[in-house]
Amino acid sequence: MNSLLTKLTVPACGAAVLALLSGCASGGVKNPSGVPVTHMNADEQGFVAGTGMESQDLVMVTDNMSRSILGIPQIANAPTPPTIVLEPVDNQTRFPINKEIFLTRIRAQLNSKARGKVTFLARSQMEALEKERNRKREGTVTASSDPNLQEFKGADYFLTGSLQGLSTRTKAGTSDYILYDFHLIDARTSAIVWEDSAEMKKQGLEDAAYR
Amino acid sequence: MKLFWQPTLLAVLLTVAGCATTAKHQVALTGNIMVDAPNAIANGPPRDRVLWEYRLAAAAMRQGKFDLAKQNLDDVLLTLGGIYGKDKDAQKARSYFHAEASKTFIGEPYERCMAYIYRGIIYWMDGEPDNARACFRSAEFEDSDAEQHQYAGDWVLPDYLDGLITTKLGGDGLDAFKRAQADVKGVKLPPYNLKANAIFFIEFGPGPTKYATGRYKEELRFRTTPSPVMSAELRVDSLQIPIAPTDDVAFQATTRGGRVMDHILGNKAVFKSTTDTVGNVALIGGLATAAASNNRTAQEVGLGVALAGLVSKVVSAAAVPAADTRSWDNLPRYLSFVSVPLPAGQHVATIQFLDASGRAVPYLTKTITVNITTTDRDKVVFVSDTSITPQTL
Repeated sequence: MNSLLTKLTVPACGAAVLALLSGCASGGVKNPSGVPVTHMNADEQGFVAGTGMESQDLVMVTDNMSRSILGIPQIANAPTPPTIVLEPVDNQTRFPINKEIFLTRIRAQLNSKARGKVTFLARSQMEALEKERNRKREGTVTASSDPNLQEFKGADYFLTGSLQGLSTRTKAGTSDYILYDFHLIDARTSAIVWEDSAEMKKQGLEDAAYR
Repeated sequence: MKLFWQPTLLAVLLTVAGCATTAKHQVALTGNIMVDAPNAIANGPPRDRVLWEYRLAAAAMRQGKFDLAKQNLDDVLLTLGGIYGKDKDAQKARSYFHAEASKTFIGEPYERCMAYIYRGIIYWMDGEPDNARACFRSAEFEDSDAEQHQYAGDWVLPDYLDGLITTKLGGDGLDAFKRAQADVKGVKLPPYNLKANAIFFIEFGPGPTKYATGRYKEELRFRTTPSPVMSAELRVDSLQIPIAPTDDVAFQATTRGGRVMDHILGNKAVFKSTTDTVGNVALIGGLATAAASNNRTAQEVGLGVALAGLVSKVVSAAAVPAADTRSWDNLPRYLSFVSVPLPAGQHVATIQFLDASGRAVPYLTKTITVNITTTDRDKVVFVSDTSITPQTL
């Protein structure tokens, strides 16, 4: 009887363990306690990644572009700091993005590293600026200079760019190539006085459960 | 003592094994999507979050709550964009002992396409046509891996709008137009009119839902409900424009073809069936052997075989080949689009939804007051046969 019980117990325990694992596994929730916030550098790839544009791409591209702009003679050798207006980037990829972020970061890098070699014009604020000037002209508010003088600066250059992509999707996975192109346009002649680009290709394959 | 540790251990294990999953993340539903969805998103199973965000976004768009739709669709698109690589929930869904519905729901390709289309419409409303175009391109991209190549990337509206936006932005949209024209059935797409600044997106009819067939419900199928609405008509100012459907969401759902997951579910069904059969044979054979024999050894062997059969039956019972039938169940059946030139000012647009005979279904007529503040930017209007009326946009 003991021998029989022993022989029966092992496989029965095995079955129970199996049922146990099944029951507990099906009730589990991934990271039930959550994942604590971790601080990362903007140029690091996190554990959440896709094939589109991410912060490390933005950092790399804008760092390269700002270094490149500073090297051109029109900026480096200009007798007075040229004025630049940012024009929206043209997104031709399949990824909806915050387009302003690219030019914002390039502008921030240039202002930080250019030491006054360029001046950016806040054209996005023109409406507010004109209202303020009108108030000064009307005498509604004080002015530290003659408000009737035309002091808004014109642009010497426009800085803009485009993002273009090539995407492929097959059973082997998804592949996305993005070309980041930026250029500086002479506002007087329309000549492109500077252009630089960066390219990125990423690929990934989702779990078979999603295919 | 030695006599008791094994049965004691066995009893403990069996008791603990009975600790079925406690009911977590259960959400009581009221039937009002605007109440249920936020509740389910906040308190329901995380694997269903995207499903509820889909449903809420569609409902919000029909109520003119585009900011709410935008917020939910942005979260959805973040999830869709990050599904690459290892996913423990997806891995679990592929295993024998967990249902496909264990995975995080992201929807079938037609559902993902619709998420991008809706988000694209909202980008365009917000004056970001290039981001709208990006969404339309992603929508087409989601459909680009169909089992039958002829149905890959065959949505019409995303290609047509890709080309329209490209043309409006000064590029060449002809290739996209040609792709759209090649895919559309029974309709001649209008050439791009750059002066048409009022863009009307129209949707109507009940969309597809999912169900499962097969011995173990392992085969995913799509149910299409006949639509009472087959076309529409727009009246604004002196214009009266018929609107034929350009895309059939049910067609897209049913022509995508087999999934990789279908093969996995098929394997799970075979496993379940095989272990069940083996279990039956071993149980019956083992017990018969034990009962019929007077030999102690033979009896023990028979009982051992029967126990193995029982284990196989337990394993079979635990196998879950059922297909995931979670559906974005408030999608429309048909999509369409019309663009007209409207001067600055207020315009009252009436959209009638027509049955198969061309008669207006009176209770579905929508009235939209469209305010055109500038002709420098497109005015985008979204209208569904289930939209609230009247609206001012």
